[in-house]
Amino acid sequence: MPPIFLSEVQKEPVWDTQGERVGRCVDVLVRGAGQPFPRVCALALRAKADAPPFVVAEQIGWLRPSILLTTDRSKLSPYEPQGDELWLARHVLDRQVVDVDGRRVVRVNDLQLARVGDHLCLVGADVGTMALLRRLGVERPARALFSTLRRQPSEAIIPWEDVAPLQADEPIRLRVSRERLGKLHPADIAAVVSDLDRRTGRALIAALDDERLAATLEESPAELQVAVLNHLEPERAADILEEMGPDEAADLLADLPDQTSRRLLELMEDEDAADVRRLLAYPEDSAGGIMTTEFATVPEGYTAGQALDYLRRSEAAQEDEALYYVYVTDASGHLKGALSLRDLVMCAPDTPLADVAETDLVTADLYTPQRDVAHLVAKYDLLAVPVVDEEGMLHGIVAVDDALDAFIPTAWKKRLPRFF
Amino acid sequence: MTLQNSVKRAAQRVLFYLTIIGPGLITASADNDAPGIATYSMAGSTYGYAFLWMILVVTVGEVVVQEMAARMGATTGKGLADLIRERFGVKVTAFAMFCLLLANFGTTVAQFAGIAAGMELLGISRYLAVPVAALLVWLLVTRGSYTRVEKFLLTLCLASLSYVVSAFMIRPPWGVVLQQAVTPAFHFETGYVLALLATVGTTITPWGCVYLQASVVDKGVTPQKYRYTRLDVVTGVAFGNVISAFVIICTAATLFVHGVQVETAEQAALALAPLAGPWAKYLFNVGLLGASLLAASVLPLATTYAVCEAFGWERGMNNRTQEAPVFYGLYTGLVMLSAAVVLLPGVPLFPLMWLSQTLNAILLPVLLVLMLRLANDPHLMGAHRNSRMTNFLAWGLTGLIVLITLILFTAPLWQAGAGRTY
Repeated sequence: MPPIFLSEVQKEPVWDTQGERVGRCVDVLVRGAGQPFPRVCALALRAKADAPPFVVAEQIGWLRPSILLTTDRSKLSPYEPQGDELWLARHVLDRQVVDVDGRRVVRVNDLQLARVGDHLCLVGADVGTMALLRRLGVERPARALFSTLRRQPSEAIIPWEDVAPLQADEPIRLRVSRERLGKLHPADIAAVVSDLDRRTGRALIAALDDERLAATLEESPAELQVAVLNHLEPERAADILEEMGPDEAADLLADLPDQTSRRLLELMEDEDAADVRRLLAYPEDSAGGIMTTEFATVPEGYTAGQALDYLRRSEAAQEDEALYYVYVTDASGHLKGALSLRDLVMCAPDTPLADVAETDLVTADLYTPQRDVAHLVAKYDLLAVPVVDEEGMLHGIVAVDDALDAFIPTAWKKRLPRFF
Repeated sequence: MTLQNSVKRAAQRVLFYLTIIGPGLITASADNDAPGIATYSMAGSTYGYAFLWMILVVTVGEVVVQEMAARMGATTGKGLADLIRERFGVKVTAFAMFCLLLANFGTTVAQFAGIAAGMELLGISRYLAVPVAALLVWLLVTRGSYTRVEKFLLTLCLASLSYVVSAFMIRPPWGVVLQQAVTPAFHFETGYVLALLATVGTTITPWGCVYLQASVVDKGVTPQKYRYTRLDVVTGVAFGNVISAFVIICTAATLFVHGVQVETAEQAALALAPLAGPWAKYLFNVGLLGASLLAASVLPLATTYAVCEAFGWERGMNNRTQEAPVFYGLYTGLVMLSAAVVLLPGVPLFPLMWLSQTLNAILLPVLLVLMLRLANDPHLMGAHRNSRMTNFLAWGLTGLIVLITLILFTAPLWQAGAGRTY
């Protein structure tokens, strides 16, 4: 059986076995929206006065060329909506959905139904131009035009399992969306959310778990970050900030009104809050403002093997997002040298760190402008620059992505190929 | 609370207001773009102070319609085209978008006609000025440097304030002016009916509603903060229409009294002569160019955005051309085609500017009816549904426009009938 489109069923008359008209079909209800092929459970009718408003799927014989039932109208089983059905015309058709595979926001022009096994199921969403023409009633002339031009009309049907149906105020659809969007990279989620209207985007983002939400916010433009955070309960907002890198969290807090950011800092765990407070003290576009305080250090005097053991147990190293470099410090935290993790792993375990660590380091001070840090990164091909004060105390590191933000705003960063 | 704290609080309030304000003001400033100035100049010079009552009517109408658009934006967080598509389906959307495209194409043509007329006043050929302006606008918008020049163009629009100064220097009979402003009048005459429609169409524009709602959504205005936006809308509309009234007063006092009916930009510029003397045409030009360039940038973009939003095509300047072919194609087509119309040999620029606005008015009811149904939808708007007063005024306005349009189209019939009785 060829697939059937919702637009071909909508507003069509429904006939019983006696050849009598029961009503017109206005909507198709499916259940199990989270499955790849949700089953059609009923048709909603604009019924004649004495006929029921729903027809259960088991009593539908044919949908095309016209809708025929398998009983006469007196034997129709009653159907009571359970509240977890998806009404295809009312809830999905003409609305925006996320194409999870294509990672973009699209509008549903039509919906495709087909028999899967014994059941009539929803199989896909048509987002192509041909569907628009079909609904305008000019599909045939349009297809004729295409064939005289010897062109194939582009079909664009997204399988339902790749569709994230969106609606801010509906738990069922939101749950399906969360599960399906959860598989995407946080940067893609951020891009999708900024293509949606604010309310839907916010609802979607708030439905993610803390860790994923924090990662998504880190990839989002400042405006969206502020909007989302304002929308959350203060306790949850504080949890999210703890999950974020201290540098990103500090940037976000700097964009909030003073009162709000103070309140959130109080709600955060002391250790995380202290990190963020330290960063907030520096101008937003200085090395101090963009650095992260989560970086890996090893005490001087260790061998490579001891250093690796130390790193495995070190909490600071656990929190270091990228761990490009390992920094060698003395007991009071002065920067003595640095080496890449690669060099550390590749040398013999008994090599003293002093032999392999670079001691003539490129550093930034706390007030070095972001642009200058970016120049250092570019000039010396670095993945991170350590930030030290006048006495040589190591305060943090600026990773390459944070330095480059000066030239390439976050929204554009997703265009660049990923190096790491 | 210390003094420092309270000052800080106040400053934050002002800053907050400044971030919210804007869409209403920009939309209203665009009232006095080339077609706007042309319409008001034509009407003022042809019908005198007696035309002022219409400004009062369209001011009320504009407040009602724009407030409705802004409120829908704040409540639903969605654009007008988006709402129309989700509520009414493909066919109605296609029709509404066709009307929007047609109306906005007409108005974009009018903006380029304004640029052409202004530059010809300075002795620069339209065959040079219009292509350069079209290319400039296209580059500004597609290269993303538009926001940098927006403030500059808005500043140029302030030149329209010179109508206010000019009016006070002319010293018109203020008593008569005020009395006429509140006295409705009507003539059964095709020219007058056209003038009425053009006035409605240039003040309450389809694109204004779409643009305003999109900006409100874009700014993320919430229902809680909506009252600031409403203030922005009302002050913006009031500001725009006060200027419109002064354009009519100036042209009535300088041209109508001498029996000059404005048919060219040169004549229209004479209304500023009491203020600027021989420099009047330059002053007139600055205002005209600023407003026309501003509108020629914003208008095709708002239109294209709405159409792509309705049909779900990739849109926005952060996409590359290959990613959003319809978006860039439609935008480029609108700008280039509008400019091309102005370059057709023998096109009369000034009538083109104001006559295009009657098309706006004739198509406006399509959008108004859809807006009214959306704004009264309890699922969509909840507690922020239209008040009875809003409904009464908006339906009244819609009816009025339809009535005037009917009169226009049946005019040949009753004029023929009237002819026979003589």
